[in-house]
Formats: sequence, C-alpha cells, structure tokens
Amino acid sequence: MKAARRPSDMAVRSERLCHIEPGDMVPLPSSYEDFNRVTLPPLKPERVKGIEASLDDTVAIGIPKPASREEEDLLVRKFLSGLKKLFEEKNNWTFLQPLLLSMEHCARCQTCADACPVYEMSGRQEIYRPIFRSEVLRRIYRKYLKPGGRVAAKWNGDIDLNWTTMARLAELSYRCTLCRRCASVCPIGVDNGLITHEIRKLFSQEMGIAPKELHEKGTVQHLRVGSSTGMNPLAAKDSVEFIQEEMEEIAGFKVEIPWDREGADILLIHNAGEILAWPENVGAFAILFQAAGLSWTLSSEAVGYDAVNYGLWYDDVQFSRVAVKHADIARRLNVRKIVMGECGHAHKALTVTADRLLTGDLNIPRESAMVTLADIVSSGRLSLDPRRNPFPVTLHDPCNMVRSMGIVEPQRRILRAVAPRFREMTPHGVDNYCCGGGSGFAIMSGYNFADWRNLVSSRRKFLQILDAFADEPPEAPKYVCAPCSNCKGAIRDMIGYYHGEERSGLYYGGLVELIVNAMSDMKKPIIQFDGKSSWES
Amino acid sequence: MGYYVLTYVCVAVFVLASVRLVYRQWTLPLHVRWEIYPVRHETAARVAYGGSYMEEVDWWNRERERSLANELKYMVPEIFFLRGLWKANRGLWLASFPFHFGLYLMIATFGGLLLHASLTLWGSPVYAGGGLLRSLLDGYVVAAGWLGLILGCLGGLALMTKRLFDREWREYSSLSDYFNLGIILAFFLSALAAALVVDPWFTGAKGFVFGLLTGGHAPPRTALGALTVILASLLVALIPLTHMSHMFMKYFLYHQVKWDEAPNRRGGKIEAAVRKNLDLKPTWQAAHVRADGCASWKDIASSTPGETK
Repeated sequence: MKAARRPSDMAVRSERLCHIEPGDMVPLPSSYEDFNRVTLPPLKPERVKGIEASLDDTVAIGIPKPASREEEDLLVRKFLSGLKKLFEEKNNWTFLQPLLLSMEHCARCQTCADACPVYEMSGRQEIYRPIFRSEVLRRIYRKYLKPGGRVAAKWNGDIDLNWTTMARLAELSYRCTLCRRCASVCPIGVDNGLITHEIRKLFSQEMGIAPKELHEKGTVQHLRVGSSTGMNPLAAKDSVEFIQEEMEEIAGFKVEIPWDREGADILLIHNAGEILAWPENVGAFAILFQAAGLSWTLSSEAVGYDAVNYGLWYDDVQFSRVAVKHADIARRLNVRKIVMGECGHAHKALTVTADRLLTGDLNIPRESAMVTLADIVSSGRLSLDPRRNPFPVTLHDPCNMVRSMGIVEPQRRILRAVAPRFREMTPHGVDNYCCGGGSGFAIMSGYNFADWRNLVSSRRKFLQILDAFADEPPEAPKYVCAPCSNCKGAIRDMIGYYHGEERSGLYYGGLVELIVNAMSDMKKPIIQFDGKSSWES
Repeated sequence: MGYYVLTYVCVAVFVLASVRLVYRQWTLPLHVRWEIYPVRHETAARVAYGGSYMEEVDWWNRERERSLANELKYMVPEIFFLRGLWKANRGLWLASFPFHFGLYLMIATFGGLLLHASLTLWGSPVYAGGGLLRSLLDGYVVAAGWLGLILGCLGGLALMTKRLFDREWREYSSLSDYFNLGIILAFFLSALAAALVVDPWFTGAKGFVFGLLTGGHAPPRTALGALTVILASLLVALIPLTHMSHMFMKYFLYHQVKWDEAPNRRGGKIEAAVRKNLDLKPTWQAAHVRADGCASWKDIASSTPGETK
C-alpha cells in the first residue's frame, strides 16, 4: 500500500490511506517489550461494510456510505454549504476570528509536528501531522469557496473534493485530541487544534455527523435525561445516597451531601461519570467541604448534576445549550459561585469558553475545584497527616485545566502539602502531554477506537508515567493523580491495556482523594491499592 | 518616472490592503475565549509557570493585574529574535532568524534613507553641508544595509533550500509559497549585487528615496538598481496580499486569540458584544440545531434539541 504523502492523496480512493505496521510506533521500555509487536486489531469487514473506513486502521464515527453517486454529490454539496457557514458571522461568531487567522497565516514551517504526541507516537504517520488536516481544509476552502479558486488551485495547492475526501476528513478530525500543544509552539500563533474543532463543527452542525458517544449518547442524552451517563435525577440521588453511606464508613462520622439548597455559597458540579465510576471522588468532596465548613450544594435537576459539556469538542449549539442550562440552574439556586469538580473540559467549557455566552444574571462566577481545595488545605481548617500518603505520587495535568485555563499551581500546592513523595512528570504544567483521551476520545470506544487510543494517542502519557516512577521498584504501588474524569478514564484504560498495575504497580485517582486520605480523623483510608490500605504501602 | 509610479502604486496597494486586513479584524464579532497559557501580560510570578488570574479564590472580586512590561519582555525578543522558534525549532531558527532580521534591517535601512531625504529636503543647512549627524546617518545606512542584505541572502537561500529539498516542507509547499519566498530572495540577491557592483555606499538608493519625496527625482541608473527597485516595490505590495502579512497580523493571533483572557463582567463592553452576537440568526442545517433563519443564537441556546441528528 502506498503511504499517504500529501493532502491531495485524501481524494484518491483506496482501501486505506494509512496503516500502522508493528514497529512503526515509538517503542515502550523492556518490561512492555511485548507491546512493541502489537498493532491495531483489524477492523472486521462485516462491521465496516457499509461505513467509511478508508482513512486508517480505526473508525471513530462510522459514516454510512452513500448508496449512489447522486447521494455522494448531495453530501459534498452539504459539506460545502457547511464550510461556507464556518466563515459567516451569523453562523460562526463564536470562532470566526481565530479560524480566519489560523487559516490565512500558516507558514507550514512544521514546528508543530514535533509537539504532537499522536504524530510522534504513531511513528510520524503523515496523516496525523498537525498541519495535514488543516491543509486539506485550507485547500478545499481556497479552491471551492474563494473567488477564482479553481483557477488558482494549482498555484495555492490543489485538492479534489469528493465523497472520499470529505468522509476521510470527518474521520481525521477525530484523530487529534485538541490538546493544542501544537498551537502553543507555533511561532505565528496558528492553532491546528482549532481548525480540527471547526471541521468537527461543520460536520455536526450542518450534516448531523458526529460520533455517537459525543452526540446521541452525549449532549442529546445529557439534555434530555439529565446526564451523558444516562443517569436521571432520581438515579443520581440514589447513587449519591449510597456514596454517602460508604463515606461514613470511611470517615467514621456522619457525612452530609446537601441537594438543592437554595442560597448556598457554592453549587458543586461533578462530572457524573464520577458518581458511577469513581464514587470515592464525589464522597471525598463531601467529606472535605463538610470538614472545611463550606456552605454548598449539589443540584438534582437534570443537567445540573453532570458538569460535562461534550459540545465543547464538536458542536457550538449543543455546547451553548448545556452551558446555559448549567448557569440557569445556578441562578435559580441563587448560589454565590459554581465550583467545577475534577473535570478538565467542564472547567474550560463553563469557566472560559462560555464566559462570552452567558450574560446578565446567568453570568454566575465560576471557580475551579483546584482553587477551592487549595484554599481549604492552606487555611489550616483540616488536620492533615501527609505520612498517610507514603507512596510515590505523580500529577497528570489536564490540558483544558492547565494549558487552556492557566490553573497550574493550586493542585501542586495541595500535593506538596499532602503527598511527601510527589514528583513531576517531564514535561509538565502548560507543556504537558495529553492523556490521549482528550476531546472525547476517553469515552469513544466503538469499532476498535479504544485500541487506537491506548496504542497511539495515550502512548506518550504512558511513557511519561513510567518515566516519572523509573526510580521506584516495580512492585511498589504508585499513584497517578489525575484531577479530571476523562483523563482518569484514559489513564485507567491505558493501565489496564498495558497491565500497568501488575507490571509497574500503577494506580490512579483524583486529587481530592489524596487530601482526604491524609486527613488525620479518617477511620479508614479512602485510597486502596488492590484492596489493601494505602496507609501502609 | 515609471519606477516612481510603480513604487507609489505598490506602496498604495500595501497601505490599502493592510488597512483592509486590519479593519476586517477589528470589525469581526467578538469570539469566545480560546486563550493558551502562559498569557504573557499576567503577573511575573504567574508568567513563570503559565498561571492565570483564575488561580485566585473569588477571582472576580479582585482587581485584574496586567503587566505591559511582562508582555514586552516576551514580545521584543519574539519579534526581533524569534524567541519561540529558538526554543521550539532551533534548526529552522538558523535559517529563519537571518532571513527575518535581514528584512527588519531592510526596513531600518529604508527608514535611514527616508530620514536622510527628509533632512536634506527640510533640515538645516548644517546637515546638507556634512557634519557629525550626516556621518552617523551615512554610516548607519551602510551598516544596516550591508548587514541586512547579507543576512537576508543567507536566510533566504537557506529557507529556499529547505523548501525545495526537505521532504516535510516540499510536500506542503505550493507554487505561491515558492513565489513569495522567491521574490524576497530575488530582491535580496539583486540588492546585494547592486550594492557590490554599483552602489556600495548606497548613494543611488539615497537618490531614489529622495526622489520618492520629491516626485521622481533620480530614477535608477543601472539595470541592477532598476531591478532592485522593481522587486522591492512588488514585495511591498505583495506582503498584505499573501500570508507574508503574518508580519503584522501576528498581533491579532497573539493579542486577540492566544492571550485574550479578558473576563466578561456584568454590564461591561464584553457583555454588550456578547448580547449583540446572541441576536444573530444562524442557518445551520442539521436537524438538532433547529435553526430556521428566524431563531437567534439566544433562542437556540435556551432550547433543547428535538432531534438526535
């Protein structure tokens, strides 16, 4: 198979444009040597028979193939109609200026390439190069929408737009985690992550094409049922009641988890995935807020108990609906501020991006839980014994919280206070690497996408984690602190995939659990390693 | 006179096209925040690690601290020495820095020539008769000119070589990229040749620029001089018409996107701009959007989707 060399190859029909061979990817260290011979499990022909699967070895969306040439042409026309709207004020005021600037000023100097973990870890597969997909969009835009574009195409860089180009581009927009590491190193300020985001929007807002996990099971379910997990308000309250009981067991005293308390200082919104997958995180917040004497509440209203906003990754309309709903719930509860739980994209969505969406009394102040927690820890209101966290700890920086929001130091202040064996990853802070689950990848697992994530997009983070603990014996338990639900999901999956617990003693969890684990008045440890107390590790 | 007409036309194109570009940016609707940290006008303590004002408890109750000095500390080395490229892509910096610095020195040389022409025209007789100021200015023009031409030629040749022979660059280079780089390189080479062969002290250049202020006084007398004037004029006109405009459009990429973290305060200018945006009426066609051209962003954002697709 001929490897893809140029953006124009996107238009040339073939069975597959890119294939990762065993040995292409950046090698893992000796204890994971067996994974260096592993590649993606092939897509089953019967599963991909009727869908677009000619980009690479995986499928994120699964766009049905058109039945006829006429249908292909219709879809291409719809694509062009959507592309035009990306450049119109009434349709894309949200991102028009950043998009125009990034479309017009790339010097194609390739400085971004080395910053991209997907491109690097894949063995530098051309289609994963940050400017590859941007260049495809740029060429289509110039050729098909700019006056005289078809004549100037040979001059500006040519590409043919057909069903194949379009469908591959849709898929390719889900091979970038939107971590924006590329944008942070671009000498001009061009943002390939933004261009990827805009491609996703075009497909979703004009053509209704998006991964099921983000749309039907994501924002749509969130707005209809109350949570992208599918949990309705009643189920959420039931689950939290169970968590409350569990926490009382751990704390040895009564733990209150208040619901819908009007006039409370704080509305705390968790990623509802925590309630289901990491209940100790929700419980730890309750223990801490109670111990610190904060006035706070959860909301049991649909949407109000799930901080996620998947719209941030693919659709401005869905993004706006979720953000408005969050703000409106806080407004009606008459709280002083919203505190975002340990969820990176929810931080950015409601605090940063929605800042220019919410007006008047919907513009309720929003604060990161990292800040609230650091304030509690530094206030002296808790009795902390850091010796209760005797194990080595490293910190994963969620891109949306750190690079996109500048919340860097509060979580470190906490770790320095409660985890004596804390060490940084390299690089960290605003230069961090994505967990590989960014922009929705952590919750996308159709076809063999989870394998692609574990092998390719999470590979860099896995290497970083191993490196951070390189000086520790393999059997000793080690804690990867990831104060973000999606990152935790990706880290959980990578540890499971590579057998990181068995081979390197890797465990993971949030930040708030480490604080509670260090509280002197806890009866039992909230963190356990393979069922054993973390206090004695 | 033809050379002067060409130069005037090209300068006019530059001015008009640049104004159009900048005006377009100023009049675009306010976009949502999409900053990347470090934001360089933060306090020195936060800039050091990339922190933001949102790291403070109840940040909205505090006065937002911004530091122009911190911004300049970053921007000056970035503009003049391509600091970011030095950190992220040193191999390219070796070619790009001399190229860009060469261009800056050409602008500086032109500034010197213009100052010389102005002082000759409107200055005191002391300047016309020679003296220290004149000697200093002459020396400055010659030094900046020669250094700029040498650096520009070296950088331009290195970048052209990279674009032609480095596969990563070649596959993404269009004819227009070669043309844009080619015209700058041709200008540098032609100007260097002119300086070497016919105008080592920039006397001809001084005459031509003097003529620019007086309506066509001293057209180039040599073919190399004429070629340099033509190429320089075309280059000036082309800058705002191509992605070479990043020379000044970078301001918007940084200040209005990458570092734009200004919070929306109730009753403030940002809120007014947001309200205006929310009245816009989108026409996206996917069923879940439910945009009919009559519903505004505000209406749509307050609704729930009726369809899953």
